Amino acid sequence: MSALTLAVPSKGRLMEESMAAFQRAGITLAKAGDGRGYRGTISGVGGVEVTFVSAAEIAVLLRAGDVHMGVTGEDLVRETIPDADARVAIEAKLGFGHADVVVAVPDFWIDVATMADLEEAAVLYRRRHGTRLRVATKYTGLTRRFFAGERFGGGPRSPDAVTLYRIVESLGATEGAPAAGTAELIVDITSTGSTLRANGLRVLEDGVILNSEACLVASEVATWTPEQMTVRTELVARLGKA
Amino acid sequence: MPANRPPSNDNLPAELPQSARWIEALDRQAGIIMGMFVTAGFEPIAPPMIQPAGVFLDLIGEDLRARTYVFADPDGAELCLRPDLTIPACRVYLQRHGETSAPARFAYDGVVFRYQPGGDSLTRPREIRQAGIESFAAHDPARAEAEILALSVEAVRAAGLRAFRLRIGDLGIFQALLVAIEMPDRWRARLTHHFWRPDAFRAQLQRLTRATGARSSVPQSLLKAIGTATAETAEGIVADFVSNRGADVMGTRTLAEITEQIVSELDDANTAPLGERDAQLLEAYLGLQSAAKDAAPAIRALLRPHGITLEPALDAFERRLRLAAEESIDLTQAQFSAGFGRAFEYYTGFVFEILSPSIGETTPIGGGGRYDTLVKAMSGSVKVPAVGSAIHTERLLLAVRGGRP
Repeated sequence: MSALTLAVPSKGRLMEESMAAFQRAGITLAKAGDGRGYRGTISGVGGVEVTFVSAAEIAVLLRAGDVHMGVTGEDLVRETIPDADARVAIEAKLGFGHADVVVAVPDFWIDVATMADLEEAAVLYRRRHGTRLRVATKYTGLTRRFFAGERFGGGPRSPDAVTLYRIVESLGATEGAPAAGTAELIVDITSTGSTLRANGLRVLEDGVILNSEACLVASEVATWTPEQMTVRTELVARLGKA
Repeated sequence: MPANRPPSNDNLPAELPQSARWIEALDRQAGIIMGMFVTAGFEPIAPPMIQPAGVFLDLIGEDLRARTYVFADPDGAELCLRPDLTIPACRVYLQRHGETSAPARFAYDGVVFRYQPGGDSLTRPREIRQAGIESFAAHDPARAEAEILALSVEAVRAAGLRAFRLRIGDLGIFQALLVAIEMPDRWRARLTHHFWRPDAFRAQLQRLTRATGARSSVPQSLLKAIGTATAETAEGIVADFVSNRGADVMGTRTLAEITEQIVSELDDANTAPLGERDAQLLEAYLGLQSAAKDAAPAIRALLRPHGITLEPALDAFERRLRLAAEESIDLTQAQFSAGFGRAFEYYTGFVFEILSPSIGETTPIGGGGRYDTLVKAMSGSVKVPAVGSAIHTERLLLAVRGGRP
């Protein structure tokens, strides 16, 4: 019988907290060999093979069905997999790695508190400058879909679409983009909001795109044997309670 | 033209034959169609398949990425596989006639590319072959529209299509109606801006009929302080407010713009809301459907109780029907639909599509319309009125063959 493949974050706090969550469920994860490789060992549950991969890569593997299950952030799942609800199942929210993906504008834009306000500002901006407002983000997919009115987590589409904008892809220090003049507003993650405030930014009232946390995710496009399904059910039950 | 259509359940085979014979038949058909276009005085052009993505992103917006193959080359330039041929044709026009805005007429036959979530299928193909025509800066707009329509219809007839229906609309009538209804210009601009997304349009309409009219985002104290101040004074008040709040001014969006936005909000609050009857009239108009020959009388009947006349727009509509009849296109059997054209982002006036019963109602064989703002949006300078159309030649060949490849 072939094992269920499980991908776990390979670095930092996300890795440590993943391992702790499994430990609470009575499952011990460890990196194999000298700890620098990708292979892992697992004890406390049978029929599972573990690999350590970056959280972003785990979303890609789940999308393609190259692993059965993985631990990664919902933000990465929704960003990487446009049809996430069809391709993967979020089986358990693990209670760590909390981060909100938000739309933030300069605090001095006192006329802009909502997405509807933002569109109005964008219309005037284009009339004045001849260009679209620029949004700096690494979440290009989430931004595009949220601005088009899509709401994640089961809400109805919003009629308050924002259309007159351009995305500027940002790979780091996104919150500095408005002050640096490379974008007018941003979409980024925040946990306490203090970095945004320090950069003179404010989250829009209806600008929370996603309350993200680390999740145990199953790929629905992977091939599942009945035995692997049994192991999946067991993992979900144990991690869900841990 | 990019269109946001719902997935189709129409009567199409599962996939097209990837055979040389099918391609040859398509080429033969394209030869007939392009021959007619050229004879009618349209110059064949062949814009590159790979286009700069920025032009499309500026015109269509980031939504483009949801349906287009956008990629970077090794220099970092952002490029795309052309998702339509109208914008590339406009680029050719601007290159050649951008300075003079001279009349020009182009024809093309080529492939456009669309990303299809869930993969390639015949109803939602990644590669779509189109033969089309575009007419720029024609002296008589109504005549140019009648010609484009007539030539498109003649082309599908020459390809062997016997049974088809025409559907027409006219976004110009809607614009005229907006002008005829009493409201501030900025409300008209707002309704026009949201026109392409019916749910957003309805939300906007409801907002304008509500008593306050204004949004509540700006603090009341600030609104009161600005009151009826002049523009300069108002900007000073806003600057003080921002500085008291301890907020840094940054970026390209200025205090003047923020002030302008707040002042227009104040104006909204001091303007009587849009009347319920007017809002209902707009909705009723957009829901109107009739035979084309009855459309103008039906619209007049709808407007009469409101004391509104739209004679220049309705005259133009009727003249176009007459001109098309002179081109031996019988528009009297065509269906008129006032909301038709809202799924297409850059149409501004007359719109039409050709439907075949053997293919179905949601997958038109071809269509087109007037787009008077597109070239200006690209060049930033001169306004160049334009009208064009494109035929889905694969669908046409299928329809000619009764729905079977």
